[in-house]
Amino acid sequence: MDITGLPILTLITFAPLVGAILIAFIPRSSAGLVRATALGTSLVSWALSLFLLVGFLPSHPNFQFVERADWISAFGIQYKLGVDGLSLVMVVLTTTLTWISILASFGPIKERVKEYMISFLILEVGMLGVFVALDLFLFYIFFEIVLVPMYLIIGIWGGANRIYATIKFVLYTLVGSLLMLVGILATAFAFQAAHGGNWAGAFDYETLRQFSFDSTLQLFAFLAFFLAFAIKIPMFPFHTWLPDAHVEAPTAGSVILAGVLLKLGGYGFIRFAVPLFPEAAHTYAPAIILLSVIAIIYGAIVALVQPDLKKLVAYSSVSHMGFVTLGIFVFQEQGLQGAILQMVNHGLITGALFLLVGVLYERTHDRTIAKMGGLSAQMPVYAVAFGFFMLASAGLPGLSGFIGEFLVFVGSFAYSPAVAAASTIVMVFAAGYLLWMFQRMFFGELSDFFKNAIGHLDDLRPTEVLTLVPLGVLVVVFGLFPGLLLTLVQGTVTEVLHGAAQASAINLAFWQ
Amino acid sequence: MSAADFSTISPVVAAVLVAAAILLVDIVRPGSRTLAIATSLLGLAIVAAVVLWAGQSTADAFDGAYRQDALTTFLDLLFVAIVAFTIVFAPDYLESRDLPFAEFAAVLVFAMTGAMLLAAASDLLVLFLGLELMVIPGYLLAGFAKRDALSTEGAIKYFLLGSFSSAIFLFGLVFTWGLTGSTRIDDVARHLTDMLSGGASMSAGLAMGLAFMTTGVAFKIAAVPFHYWTPDAYQGSPTPITGYLSVGPKVGAFALILRLFIGALDPLKTDWLPVMEILAALTMTMGNLVALTQSNVKRMLAYSSIAHTGYILVGLAAYAAGRIEGLEGVLFYAAAYTFMNLGAFAVVAALQRRPGVTSHLDTFAGLGRREPILGVLMTLFLLSLTGIPPLAGFFGKAYVILAAVQAGGTLTILAVIAVLNAAAAAFYYLRVVVYMYMREPTSEAEPPKHGSLVWAGLWAASALTIAIGVFPGPLLDAVHHAALALP
Repeated sequence: MDITGLPILTLITFAPLVGAILIAFIPRSSAGLVRATALGTSLVSWALSLFLLVGFLPSHPNFQFVERADWISAFGIQYKLGVDGLSLVMVVLTTTLTWISILASFGPIKERVKEYMISFLILEVGMLGVFVALDLFLFYIFFEIVLVPMYLIIGIWGGANRIYATIKFVLYTLVGSLLMLVGILATAFAFQAAHGGNWAGAFDYETLRQFSFDSTLQLFAFLAFFLAFAIKIPMFPFHTWLPDAHVEAPTAGSVILAGVLLKLGGYGFIRFAVPLFPEAAHTYAPAIILLSVIAIIYGAIVALVQPDLKKLVAYSSVSHMGFVTLGIFVFQEQGLQGAILQMVNHGLITGALFLLVGVLYERTHDRTIAKMGGLSAQMPVYAVAFGFFMLASAGLPGLSGFIGEFLVFVGSFAYSPAVAAASTIVMVFAAGYLLWMFQRMFFGELSDFFKNAIGHLDDLRPTEVLTLVPLGVLVVVFGLFPGLLLTLVQGTVTEVLHGAAQASAINLAFWQ
Repeated sequence: MSAADFSTISPVVAAVLVAAAILLVDIVRPGSRTLAIATSLLGLAIVAAVVLWAGQSTADAFDGAYRQDALTTFLDLLFVAIVAFTIVFAPDYLESRDLPFAEFAAVLVFAMTGAMLLAAASDLLVLFLGLELMVIPGYLLAGFAKRDALSTEGAIKYFLLGSFSSAIFLFGLVFTWGLTGSTRIDDVARHLTDMLSGGASMSAGLAMGLAFMTTGVAFKIAAVPFHYWTPDAYQGSPTPITGYLSVGPKVGAFALILRLFIGALDPLKTDWLPVMEILAALTMTMGNLVALTQSNVKRMLAYSSIAHTGYILVGLAAYAAGRIEGLEGVLFYAAAYTFMNLGAFAVVAALQRRPGVTSHLDTFAGLGRREPILGVLMTLFLLSLTGIPPLAGFFGKAYVILAAVQAGGTLTILAVIAVLNAAAAAFYYLRVVVYMYMREPTSEAEPPKHGSLVWAGLWAASALTIAIGVFPGPLLDAVHHAALALP
């Protein structure tokens, strides 16, 4: 399905790497050129990803734009890329958020601009690679590559407690992903052993998807994959790295962390964990659903009492990501559709919220909600933008945040009304913490803290508006026409559910 | 001794001649570093060529006491590379401390000769000869800075425990020899198979022999709980030598294990496999746990090298459990570990160019700002040691883990222990990155100039670290080929 004859996925994925290499040769003194190169290459990647959108055929069931080359032939490991609707949506989300983040870093990042931009572009390579890799080994490599630049971004350009936060982030993620490596190798070996010792296809996703693994392997391998993705997304009780990482990360780091990195977990569940190990997925589903409901409620309640603006948004992410895992593991069409939509919309909305928090932080160097008040008169445009994304996050119908959660409700209702009811209550909490936050920040008298900083409280600057407008437009468009996204991902949804429907939970009695 | 014997052992002969040539050149032109370096590097290139030439065929020499096969060739080339890198990284460091270079290079090449002999030994006595020829120069090197109390202390500890463990090992060899009546490895294996045929259990003498040999070998590879000499010996030695000690004798000792345990003691596998598994688990875990608390980078790397020994042992155990991938993993890991670890030590040595600079973490503070290229290279080596893809170290780990998963059973648990350890190791490796990039420099001193030889070596080591990770194909073929040499 290669419409242009070019290896377009490779170009999209590695364009940022070319940018990073170019930047390495630019002298430290010309920070402007460094910034321009970074923005330029990320825009190239973005523009190419839009071409994908044009050339993609939603009705076509298979992976498209597939590129394949032998890489490590001794083990049948290939360089194989391809996209279906799900990966396509995630790729475009990534390329979009990356150039927005790079643009948003122009002001705040003044130290070591060169290293920062190189890290950011390599981060983009890793993220894009995860979404387009169709070989498990290749996928793992991209999954790990993401860690290093994010580690540096939080650790070098982060806040006061950045070193603790970044090491915690790395260690948590590494434990999960290394166990997943054991899972990947065990899966590949099981396939190889079943094919008379032939490694061909042992890491190939499309081949493995057709293969049914035996129950014991499924139970263990699923756990290994689950841990990696559950930490990444993050699910309760593996979420504790997230608030620290968010609070300490620079603004753009938070945007990418919330917008894309968390989605690596959700994507991993939908792409790998469920299709490869459907029986194990069914077996563990009740436990995962329970954890999801806890995450939804717990995240919202904890968000309610956060004194720090960024921490509040971080905990709201835990709650929102709970909807994603819930939607996936109820194995209902609407649930899965909702999960995917929720991933995209959370990326847009929370990304925008972190940008907005960053705008204020850059002016006042503080995020304590208690010190704020009366900002609407001082920064009216900012107040409107904040209000808009706040309402989208709270799930206001007509904006995109609503539709994902709504579909998950519908899907989970079919699974169990009690689960649906429990997670619906959270809509109230979400409205509570968000509206309360908004009220404390923007209404009433201008607070003393803001009075002291009044010289800095200028309204949104043109660059800042430029970073927010595309996100706002998408939030409205997807809110009004969710069908645009649903058409794209329908193929993936059908495929995943078709596989899952044929499997049933493993009878755990054989343990006894 | 026939001409054919001579051509079979030509790599070892070449190595001895090179060592002698280095000494001769130093007598003719005393103190000329450039000449000594040129002689050593040229000599090593010749040795490598001879190894490749001799490696074209498989042959036995001296009535089967010496065996030239694909495994020998692979290990020989690795030893040559280790010594070449050590020689490239050393001059700057030695020069600023007024330590002689020619003696250093000659002793190093003699040690290499011993390792090469080990890799080709198919007789227990040749094995012991090679072992001693490898480790005795190691004691000399550890104490090379003879006016430095720490260096001397480390050397004495290394020497005492080293000769002690050699004696234990020799004692074990003697038991085996006495009970099987032969020192030829193939004969030993055959006799052992006969003795154990029909379900007979191991005699007490044989059990003692096995226990002593295992203990001796565990000392040599610094497996926990036989590792106590390592940190002091490593920390006290001049840094380029520490780099060598953490790689050369270790790979050499693994060559010994392959020849002895896989070659001769294969029939006793059910008895020593569980021991190897326990040693592997202990070595990984203890090495990492202690490395976590170190604030001296050399000492940290010393403990982490213990942990790496544990990972390699996982591959060995998988091989003993019947997976050829385990042996391939051992060889792959050894090669990958060589380049990344020597690279990391080379950066430490470069930072210690000025005498008096310690290898404490503070030395690394703000390195990313003071010496950006050195900072990037160190980060690369540390990431590879951590096992981040797509670097060489990741592939080594993936290989031994794959083999362990294939072997199944208790080895699967070992694989999980290995990856949990790898995650813990990230903490202390990345702490160096924290100092380099996330802290301010503690001194305002102008960074020292590094010689072009050091730079060339660093670039070569980093290129290999990346290349082995991104294009592992050629090395995979090489280890596959070498692994087939063992029965």
